[in-house]
Amino acid sequence: MTLTMDYTGQLASVTGVAEEQVEVGEGECLLDVLKARLAVHGEKFGELLFDDEGGIRSTLLVVLDGEQATGDKASVSLSGVKVVMLMTPIAGG
Amino acid sequence: MESQQAAYELSDRDREIYGWQLDVPGLGERGQAKLRSSTALISRVGGLGGPLALSLAAAGIGKLILVHGGELRPDDLNRQILMRHDYLGKKRVDAAAETLRQFNPHIEVETVAENFNEDNAADLVARADIVFDAAPLFEERFLMNRECVAQRKPLIDCAMFNMEGQVIPIVPGETACLACLYPEVPEHWKRRFPVVGAVSAVIANIGAIEGIKLLAGMSGVSLNRLIYFDTLVMKLQKVEIARNPDCEICGEL
Repeated sequence: MTLTMDYTGQLASVTGVAEEQVEVGEGECLLDVLKARLAVHGEKFGELLFDDEGGIRSTLLVVLDGEQATGDKASVSLSGVKVVMLMTPIAGG
Repeated sequence: MESQQAAYELSDRDREIYGWQLDVPGLGERGQAKLRSSTALISRVGGLGGPLALSLAAAGIGKLILVHGGELRPDDLNRQILMRHDYLGKKRVDAAAETLRQFNPHIEVETVAENFNEDNAADLVARADIVFDAAPLFEERFLMNRECVAQRKPLIDCAMFNMEGQVIPIVPGETACLACLYPEVPEHWKRRFPVVGAVSAVIANIGAIEGIKLLAGMSGVSLNRLIYFDTLVMKLQKVEIARNPDCEICGEL
């Protein structure tokens, strides 16, 4: 299936895009998708997404079709999801 | 928002100054009286907090407490619209207060020439009906969030980066707090960030609108929503957010 990835804040800066379409395989979870995008967008992208243990950062907001994903973000199912929005924390004033 | 707002009777001068907004459905004389009797604290009056304070002054919020340390620098002047070039090297908060007092001499403006910190947090929040967060560092934001939750005071969290920004209206016990969303200081946030003043002002005014609605008792406050605006492509989105039942700050409310 085709998924729209929306990037905000520092993620949009390091990827150079605010939005992209990606193909997602049956049964793939969010962590699978992000690791695949890491190969495209590189190390700085990964630093914003993953902590030292390789898990998704606690401060990364994951939004699925307009609703914040709660609980274990890494294993969240993408079945039926059209848009994944990844929001890095911002505080500028 | 009834708890600390004292009873206030609109004067003829109030009706003259604020007449155009008295016609706004849901605001009216009752809502305006609430605004006139309210105290708002704004943490930092720079790119975000400056235009935010200006809009609160225009709306007739009775008292503004401006909290901001440091002296005005040349590189503040692309966005800090309450400042002036002839104030370079002087206290930012004094410039902001002077501009606001000239704009609306019928409100009270108090200045605190230091940033929000552990020593002043409890006292500052206690004196306000609502807090507007426009600070650039998460340590300061988390402190404000913690104190607002502890004192059950609403907090309007405003933030921006590049051509984007977001506003989160926080009502302790009813909505997610900042720590529900960000349980720790983000490792990659830096003190210096890309900013165009016009973007700051747009985000600031979204924050001001949410605060005015809360204070005046109007409907439509975006509770449990993060309002996100990407001004590069002019995309406005409301993201549904949720309380974290295990939140160390508000989980037990």
